[in-house]
Amino acid sequence: MGFSSFIVLLFLGGEIALFLIRKFSVPIDCFTFLVLLFNFAAVGVFAVFLSKMAIIVTQGYLVAIGMLVAYWFTLLPEWTTWVLLVALALYDLAAVLLPVGPLRLLVELAISRDEDIPALVYEARPVINHDQGSGEYEGQRRAWRRRRELGNDSESDHNIGTSDAEVTAPLIQNRVSSVVDGQESSVASTDNSFLEGIGLGSSGAIKLGLGDFIFYSVLVGRAAMYDFMTVYACYLAIIAGLGVTLMLLALYQQALPALPVSIAFGVLFYFLTRLLLEEFVVQCSLNLVMF
Amino acid sequence: MTVAAGIGYALLALGPSLALFVTVISKKPFLILTVLSSTLLWLVSLIVLSGFWRPFLPLNSAASWPFAVLIITSVAFQEGLRLLFWKVYKRLEDMLDAFADRVSKPRLYPTDKMLIALAGGLGHGAAHAVFFCLSVLTPAFGPATFFTDQCSQIPFFLVSSIIALAFATIHTFSMVIAFNGYSEGNKVDQLFVPVVHLVAGMVTLINFTTGGCSIGIPILYIIAILTLLHCGKMVWGKLTENQIRL
Repeated sequence: MGFSSFIVLLFLGGEIALFLIRKFSVPIDCFTFLVLLFNFAAVGVFAVFLSKMAIIVTQGYLVAIGMLVAYWFTLLPEWTTWVLLVALALYDLAAVLLPVGPLRLLVELAISRDEDIPALVYEARPVINHDQGSGEYEGQRRAWRRRRELGNDSESDHNIGTSDAEVTAPLIQNRVSSVVDGQESSVASTDNSFLEGIGLGSSGAIKLGLGDFIFYSVLVGRAAMYDFMTVYACYLAIIAGLGVTLMLLALYQQALPALPVSIAFGVLFYFLTRLLLEEFVVQCSLNLVMF
Repeated sequence: MTVAAGIGYALLALGPSLALFVTVISKKPFLILTVLSSTLLWLVSLIVLSGFWRPFLPLNSAASWPFAVLIITSVAFQEGLRLLFWKVYKRLEDMLDAFADRVSKPRLYPTDKMLIALAGGLGHGAAHAVFFCLSVLTPAFGPATFFTDQCSQIPFFLVSSIIALAFATIHTFSMVIAFNGYSEGNKVDQLFVPVVHLVAGMVTLINFTTGGCSIGIPILYIIAILTLLHCGKMVWGKLTENQIRL
């Protein structure tokens, strides 16, 4: 996992840095560039591997890796990209929900062996409202543990080589399942955890697999290659899909794939916007008729 | 005209909304979610409308009456969706109040409800600005600019940003007025919002005539200021009446 992040940051990042240097005529020489690039990649490996760094550095590097991989994916031809996205969404759905699905087996194996699920996972630490009481802390831990399940299972094999079953820090999975069970008995309705999760009550760390990030970025990147209207529409669609997925997570309390809903909405909105909306809006705004 | 001009146009249309977002809405996660969901709702309404009107496009841009029909249908549909948004919000409010009772925290204050309405309106206004103004703004970042025949004094991008600003204001504050009207059963407020929306839409038809935008845009701004004043008066009344009750 570390080696693949290193490769992504070094080679893919280096290529893009070279494009930018050529475009903006940045005065830099080979050796300085190589040293800087190597340092960047090395720090990146440590940032995603160890959890001792400042969270902002880890988040920054995960976003950078996601962006780099997504950029290279957008170089595929247009139809290939769309078919690939839809096929991956279907695969994710099958792999996580079917009993013979590889990702489900992986999760169950990790739980039974009491190990951490090997994945590059983006963790979004929430902003804690200071005007909320400390009694929220209990709920905070609950929500965090529940979200772990979403993030870990949306990790996908589509990441470049990140799916090697490498053991990292052991997650106390037993505690996860028992807390989830305990949570089900203590929570009267799903509204409770839903509302906690949306930050109205307490807040928890949301974890999202990096594979999901990459494919959302590929979708939006492909949309950007057409027009800005499709970008906004696809962005909103993906956020809506993510919201629906989180609500389903609160409802079903089990591992869920994060790709299908968002990709479905994204692809749908892209084609609807491109075929229907653009003509309508351009007609209206060119004649300065708005509502 | 350049990157600077492009950014300028974008900020002209979205500046006040951005300021509102950063100061008021970014502090509470729930409001951010409200903004996103109301933006999505507006986008969906726009897609449905464009799906309905697609066979009739491109409209003959000499005649203005097809556009009038377009505006009337669009405004009617969007006002209907506003009512739907209100119903969903009402159910959400009941859920939130029940949750607050369960964890023995105070229920939603009237200011909270008005903030949620403001966030909803901001979502609509931002969506309008983004889809009608920002999405056609891409050429403005290049070296040239564009003038339309009807409004040949100022660049097209500037006109569209100014109109987008007015509409963003109208959308943002009419949502507050509408929610207040629905919750109190105040017929005047309930009618005020669709009427204002329709009138604002029809006023943009004046832009069809040559030189029409020098009449149309000031009227639009008068409508926007009217909405702002009405909303301010209503909110002030609500806040002071609560003070007395406390």
